[in-house]
Amino acid sequence: MSIVLDGLTKRFAGRAVVEAVGLEIADGELFVLLGASGSGKSTVLRMIAGLTATDGGKIELMGQDVTSLEPQKRGVGFVFQNYSIFQHMTAAENIAFGLRIRGVSRRQRHQKSEELLDLVGLGGLGERYARELSGGQQQRVALARALAYEPKVLLLDEPFGALDVKIRAQLRRSFREIQQRLRLTTVLVTHDQEEAFEIADRIGVFERGHLIEVGKPEELYGKPGSLYAATFLGAGTVLQGRCREGRAEFGPLSLDLPAGQAHAEGSPVRILIRPEQVELGHAGADGRPTLGVGRVVESSFAGALRRLRLRIPRLPRTRQISPPLPYGEEGQIVEAVLPASDPVPDEVRITLKDWRVLEQPLPSLLVADPLGAQRPPVAAARPLASALNASLVVLGVVPADNPPDPLRERFKTEFEQDADEIRIRVGEPAEQIRNEQAETFYDLVVLGPIGPKAIRSRSVRQLLREASTPLLFGEAREHFGKVLICTAVGEPGKSDVRVGGWLAGRLGAAVTLLHVSRDSAEPPRWIRAHLDQGVATLSAFDVQAQAQVRQADSPLEGILMEARKGDYDLVVIGGHGPRTRSMTGRDDIAFQILDSAKRPVLVVPEDSG
Amino acid sequence: MTAAENGALRGRRESSRLPVGVLLLVLLPLLLMPLAAVFVFALKGGPGAFWDAIRSPEAQFALRFSLLIAFATTAVNTVLGTFTAYVLSKHRFWGDRALGVVVNLPVAIPTVVVGTSLLLLWGPIGLLGKLLVPIGLQPMFRPFGVLLAHLFVTFPYMLGAVKPVLDELETTYEEAAYTIGASRWTTFRLVLLPALRGGLTTGALLTFAHSLGEFGATVMVSGNLRLKTQTAPLYIFAQFEAGDIAHANALAAVLALLSFAIFFFLFQFASRATRERAR
Repeated sequence: MSIVLDGLTKRFAGRAVVEAVGLEIADGELFVLLGASGSGKSTVLRMIAGLTATDGGKIELMGQDVTSLEPQKRGVGFVFQNYSIFQHMTAAENIAFGLRIRGVSRRQRHQKSEELLDLVGLGGLGERYARELSGGQQQRVALARALAYEPKVLLLDEPFGALDVKIRAQLRRSFREIQQRLRLTTVLVTHDQEEAFEIADRIGVFERGHLIEVGKPEELYGKPGSLYAATFLGAGTVLQGRCREGRAEFGPLSLDLPAGQAHAEGSPVRILIRPEQVELGHAGADGRPTLGVGRVVESSFAGALRRLRLRIPRLPRTRQISPPLPYGEEGQIVEAVLPASDPVPDEVRITLKDWRVLEQPLPSLLVADPLGAQRPPVAAARPLASALNASLVVLGVVPADNPPDPLRERFKTEFEQDADEIRIRVGEPAEQIRNEQAETFYDLVVLGPIGPKAIRSRSVRQLLREASTPLLFGEAREHFGKVLICTAVGEPGKSDVRVGGWLAGRLGAAVTLLHVSRDSAEPPRWIRAHLDQGVATLSAFDVQAQAQVRQADSPLEGILMEARKGDYDLVVIGGHGPRTRSMTGRDDIAFQILDSAKRPVLVVPEDSG
Repeated sequence: MTAAENGALRGRRESSRLPVGVLLLVLLPLLLMPLAAVFVFALKGGPGAFWDAIRSPEAQFALRFSLLIAFATTAVNTVLGTFTAYVLSKHRFWGDRALGVVVNLPVAIPTVVVGTSLLLLWGPIGLLGKLLVPIGLQPMFRPFGVLLAHLFVTFPYMLGAVKPVLDELETTYEEAAYTIGASRWTTFRLVLLPALRGGLTTGALLTFAHSLGEFGATVMVSGNLRLKTQTAPLYIFAQFEAGDIAHANALAAVLALLSFAIFFFLFQFASRATRERAR
């Protein structure tokens, strides 16, 4: 192995820009690090070269640990996007710089630089200064300069990024040729997927400091695992549905889940459909799944092919992830291709020749302000999102007749760091939060700290009544080490144990299952049995659990007492659903716990999870 | 595009000469006439008298001393200013901004104040000077004192000429050199320094010119001792006060000529740099 990275980490201002990157690159391999700008891929390259210090992990070059070696001694060649040709030296002097500082004789230097000038196709231009060379020529000089002292590995940071399209293609080809001829281990960083496909032996897809997928170009295109790789490399439609009875369901469409890609019942499933996997105008008689009848909304000519976008009626309980739906779009959009010579149909039946089930999506949190004050509690949700490794969607709701764009822009600047997605809806807050939940699968809705008066507002009451997803109230803590699940409220709920257990498992928290009894006598056997079942269920989630029976005058008092005494980081209670349940008079117990618990409370609706 | 075309495009009007006339009328007594006066008066007594005035031992000494101090000041501040620029541009440390302001302060402080503070520090009863008296050292009223004053006063010029160039030069040039195997020092010598040529020349010429004409601080710290610490500007002032206008004027003309020459170099250099950058 020429290059081995192990747990490579870099932080800037406390924020990890590269996190635990592990990678092995074989001798002579051309490895492309592909990612959007700011994803941390250049930082990885700079750490390999020693230009940026690491904050963790190990770098090996040719079997030697170079993690703390200075750049001068690593034996790497580095090519920068801005060429960085020394302006006061000729091309030949630039190339021979490494030899000069090592005291190689003038004659040998001349011979070597002539050789390299020929290699990079600049024979005869050695006496020119940088300002007398075009951008492409300067980059060729930079390449020759990096090769002059025969580096062990070659590192290139967006080397073709500053060149125009035609020169870029030319230089790419001749670079690939040179790399092949020298069999030089190379890492190239780019944000251009076409470039990656064209020259890479293998590609590593980089997103937000993580190396999320590595593979040959054709594997990554045809069989991506992650959503990011699927959408970053090439076009296609990504839909998200749910797993029901071992099949992936997208409204009426039901697809097999391949072996080895089992999903838990009710969990979200994502599929990728590449444009060429979409069949137009097929009768669908041979059992191919049908998406529906689509109408062409966009058609663009692309050489031998014509790219189409078709609108199909919205599939229930299906979220479109890619291509992103334009604001106000009511249907769903499918990407397809046709041979350019075929006529463009108007309305056509869409069937699937093939598709790819993507990795199960990360948990996702919806953050919203139920009171319409446009202050979604993003800060409260952040520790939880990072502990769960969950994606964070911020929902803004603007009153009817208000333009959504100013709020979208404000949220974008305000929550850029934390939010993975920002969605804006128009209407009444509680109703729109409910609609968002119904259309998309979220694991939790984070509503944040809410004052006692607001808790009894119509909006929050409505949410508690109609929610289909667990609701998290209160100031979230940095760490969730102890979770209290209360079974004492009404019927012992199964979903609160399941949701609380799932959460505790993800967070590595210990769970206490609480039953409150009114008298000091031993609780009836059915209560014991229920608690034991609960503990067994939790153990199945790999959660450390114990049952606790507390005697108190009222369930509320018992819960509050236990919560305070055990200093729990989260209290999980069952929601009452559409039924009103008043145990102590005018208020539901949920409100009272929200009022007085002074710690985060998760309200789990009965039929969720 | 030629300058004429350029002018035409910007809509320069040839017809109205009034603004040009007004400008000349204002500038004539302000700038042009005083410049001319130096030479007119210097040559009033004929070239022989001019020559004699310059040849006098005091004048000779003053001129040589001034040149020596200017060269020494330029040499020291070129190194010191470049080093300061390098540290301020490439290193982030606590108080770096404050230091950046402080090192530029000498331009803003009246030179007489500089002279006074140097005296208060290094003079015989000064803070540090007191300690030097017993060992027989006394920088004030000596050539070394003059050098100290000039170093202080001209410090910002080199810094101001070099630091912007360093700031603008992308770090990738240095990084490229590092990965090729060049040490920090080699990189500075072979990569950074050549890129700084323009800034260094400008800074050196500015430092030299300002040192040559320095008066306020020099008059305080030198004691204005004939044939010992008297620089050319001090000589001119002393002769003028003594009523020996011919001698004063002769040396003034020489100083003015030197300054013109430096200015001409600077001007040439700046326009060449602009042309090169434009390409």
